[in-house]
Amino acid sequence: MEFLAPIMLVGAAGLLIPVVIHLIGRQRAKVVRFAAMDFLLGSRRKTARRFKLRELLLLVVRALICLAIPIVLAKPFASCEAPGPRVAHGPQAAVLVIDDSFAVMHRSAGVSLIERIKEQALSILEQLGPQAEVAVVFAAEGTETTTELSRDHLRLRDMISGVRASNRPADSNTALRHAAQLLAGADHQRQTVFLLSPLAATGFRGESPWSVGNGPTLVVVDVVDREADPVPDNLAITDVKVERNPNSGSRGIRVTAGVANFADRDVVEHEIRLRVGDAIVARGLISAGQGERQSKQFLATIPPGSRFTDVVVELGDDGLAIDNRRYLRIELREEVNVLLVDGDPHTIRHQDELFYLEAALRPGDRSDSGATLRTATVDELPDIELDNFDVMVLANVRAMARERVSRVAKWVERGGGLMVALGDNVDADAYNRTMQPLLPQTLKDPIEVAYGSRGSERAERALRLTKWEDEHPVFAVFTKDAPGLRDARFHTVMLLGPTTRVDDRRVLARYTNAAAALVEARSGQGRLMLLTSTVDRDWNDLVIHPGYLPLMQQIVRFLARKQDERARELVLIGRSALLRVAGDDTRLEIRAPDASRMVIEGARLTGRKYMRFSDTHQPGFYRVLAAGQSGEPRHRVEADFAVNVDSRGSDLRPVDAALLPVADQSQAEVGQAKHKRRVELWHAIAIGLMLLLLVESVISLRWARI
Amino acid sequence: MPFLDPMDIAQLGSLPLKARIIVEGALTGLHRARLHGSSVEFAEHKEYSPGDEIRHIDWKAYGKVDRYYVKQYEQESQLTVHLLLDASSSMAYSGDGVGKLEYASYLIASLAHLLIGQRDRVGLSVFGDESIDGYVPPRGRPAHLRDLFAVIDQVNQRGARGSETAAAALERIAELTRRRRSLIALASDLLASGSETARMLRMLRAQGHDVVLFHVLHPDEIEFPFEGLTVFESLEDDRKLLASPQVIRREYLRRLDAFLDQTRSQCIDGGVEYHLVSTAQPVEQTLLDFLTSRVKLTGNRPAWSS
Repeated sequence: MEFLAPIMLVGAAGLLIPVVIHLIGRQRAKVVRFAAMDFLLGSRRKTARRFKLRELLLLVVRALICLAIPIVLAKPFASCEAPGPRVAHGPQAAVLVIDDSFAVMHRSAGVSLIERIKEQALSILEQLGPQAEVAVVFAAEGTETTTELSRDHLRLRDMISGVRASNRPADSNTALRHAAQLLAGADHQRQTVFLLSPLAATGFRGESPWSVGNGPTLVVVDVVDREADPVPDNLAITDVKVERNPNSGSRGIRVTAGVANFADRDVVEHEIRLRVGDAIVARGLISAGQGERQSKQFLATIPPGSRFTDVVVELGDDGLAIDNRRYLRIELREEVNVLLVDGDPHTIRHQDELFYLEAALRPGDRSDSGATLRTATVDELPDIELDNFDVMVLANVRAMARERVSRVAKWVERGGGLMVALGDNVDADAYNRTMQPLLPQTLKDPIEVAYGSRGSERAERALRLTKWEDEHPVFAVFTKDAPGLRDARFHTVMLLGPTTRVDDRRVLARYTNAAAALVEARSGQGRLMLLTSTVDRDWNDLVIHPGYLPLMQQIVRFLARKQDERARELVLIGRSALLRVAGDDTRLEIRAPDASRMVIEGARLTGRKYMRFSDTHQPGFYRVLAAGQSGEPRHRVEADFAVNVDSRGSDLRPVDAALLPVADQSQAEVGQAKHKRRVELWHAIAIGLMLLLLVESVISLRWARI
Repeated sequence: MPFLDPMDIAQLGSLPLKARIIVEGALTGLHRARLHGSSVEFAEHKEYSPGDEIRHIDWKAYGKVDRYYVKQYEQESQLTVHLLLDASSSMAYSGDGVGKLEYASYLIASLAHLLIGQRDRVGLSVFGDESIDGYVPPRGRPAHLRDLFAVIDQVNQRGARGSETAAAALERIAELTRRRRSLIALASDLLASGSETARMLRMLRAQGHDVVLFHVLHPDEIEFPFEGLTVFESLEDDRKLLASPQVIRREYLRRLDAFLDQTRSQCIDGGVEYHLVSTAQPVEQTLLDFLTSRVKLTGNRPAWSS
């Protein structure tokens, strides 16, 4: 223990005062020789000991009081090694930048980082002293909560004590920039920013908040115990993809989860689970080396009767729990709405261009065939709402006017699936002029490979399908040597010209002469497919082979994938979800995962087709209830959506110290700072003195009445 | 005529003088007392029968009723009185006034003076210091008074000492008075053995003796008026107590009152005449109270008639 004013300790001699008074008091007591001692001692036998104790206590208490006064005046203090930065005491302006991103929920040795941050922040606030003007800025991305510079430390203490980690990733640079702006308006010469954070590199995006020497002093407080744990362990699910898996039936799905190991050590056989609805349907183990990303694939079947399903992929426990779950809301429609545009309608049923295709897509016209068909002619197209259909088939359609083509092309870009099948009505030049947006490739002239031949010769000269992408979903159902496809003969096929502007063109199948038979391409969010022959018997006899039906159904299902991709429209914490508003909606109620409710109604809905919902502060599934004119709220299952954390914040690997705007780089080292701290003791002794005075009063007054 | 203050009594000369003044003072206050020393007292009338003394015929009654009645007289026997004086060390307390032993001595001497004057046999037993034989057997001669006063003087000069209890002294007296009923008067503070003494007094009373207790206490003991930090030292042993009197006063007085109540009730229940006597009270008053209570007890007969 040391003293600021040791001279005051001279006053400790005052300790002798009560002792002397006590002794003198004893000597000055008069002596009475008394007879009734039994009554005196009888009454005192109980109290004599207490009386002596009282006298002794009073002596001790008074001596301590006399001792405590000079000690308090001497201002004692103790020095100790304390975690945390060296903090200057006195008038100054300081900003505490508190990282409240979800990364600070990381627990290590039973203590979460946010607890350490709060502890350090309170310690710094105390050390700054009451004359310091202090503000608090939070570093989670998109956080608007902040304070102005203030000397109201009591309020700041309450604020810091009540800090809770948000579900957002860190954006430390923005927070530091904000802190610098706050300090720019301060009058104090000494301006300091204290950054209390696990210093994850992902939190320091973009430019440095200020260049060294042109901003306030930055004091970095790393709350991670780097000696014990240089990089906090964290395994996170960063991405989940759901696709149809035709091999598992019409309700089969393939879930692919991307898992990243952000730790500096390997993770071996960590548990990973797939949850569909409320049930865990698959479990597995995943291993990943340090810093590696791995993927885990699950095959599952969606329970029948449910069009929309909640899918969750979750990892076993680790240091940071929030990024161990990924939520997806998937829609698995069994019915594919197909618009068949007949380019060669015929009154004789079997001579109609779509006769075989209709039969293939809706065999036996059964309701469980998986497709809802609507047949139309080109002229009827303008009157049809294309958004009601998932797939459109242009079968032997003459080249359409540009505006019609443009309308269809936009529908495709929005996610529609288009198959163009050719035929006699197709004029390659006309197609190349107007229909290019709908074609994966330009067309050249058709060739009739068996021209002039008959019988077996015609059969021999016909083309056959020889190579197809058997890993492609369209051909996944076929074996490599599927006779149902291979035996089909193509007498006339259209040759293709150069590639158009569409992306991801891919030839899925070729004929024996190497000409493309089936070409796939992507256009916007939709897909195009071009069959270089007909879907009826005019140019081939595929229609009478067993491969025709599954091929057509697979093509249609593949083109309808856009509906499944809805599941990939992920909403991250803090981002907005797009809600569709029906014409008669009077009220929308969104229920968050914690059962809190948000209601949108009245003028906010009137005349709107879509509504942005931004209160996405928690990960999980959000339920949407809509009320129409009747006022009865109804669960709108198709509008439910999932919200996930931004996995950028899961990477807790520390930032390079050189990126921090700290003048003295030795202070910027990532690691827990320690400093010699002076602990003032006189406050405690002064409180003790008060208590002693209180005790003295109680003993003097209370015990005097014994 | 006002009584003398005990302090004034102490200023007087010899003990016989003090005793005489005290007795005279007390008798002056006893207006209705009949203490003229008639040795033969009228008891009742009896119809004359042959053999009765003719000189005892009540001629006035004959004149009224024309029949012979003989006056029968009660022959008053000579009373034996045992006076017990507590001279144990607890009686040494004097405070600022007359000491308890001194006061008790005046009281006992006065009683002796009064009783010898009536030709009663008076004995004295001084107890406290076991090493000294303070017993004076009862005698009725006037010269015996000198012996009594001499012993009392000697005790006063020696001062209170010893720890013999009143109970032990009473036990001795009980042995001595077994054959003859006596008046036993004890002057003591009873601090050494209160309850045992009260038990002995009741026993003596049960044996047919008249028993009187003068419970002598100093005003300081009754009121506990001390102030300031005080060291109390025991008169009987080496016990000491440093205390603030105001702190312990309430508890002391509570215990003293309980002791006095218990002693008084034990005496009264056992037929023992109890007098609580403060040494601040004039000795004549104490004697007068005693005589008055005896008169009340025995009607108009002399206070100690048996």
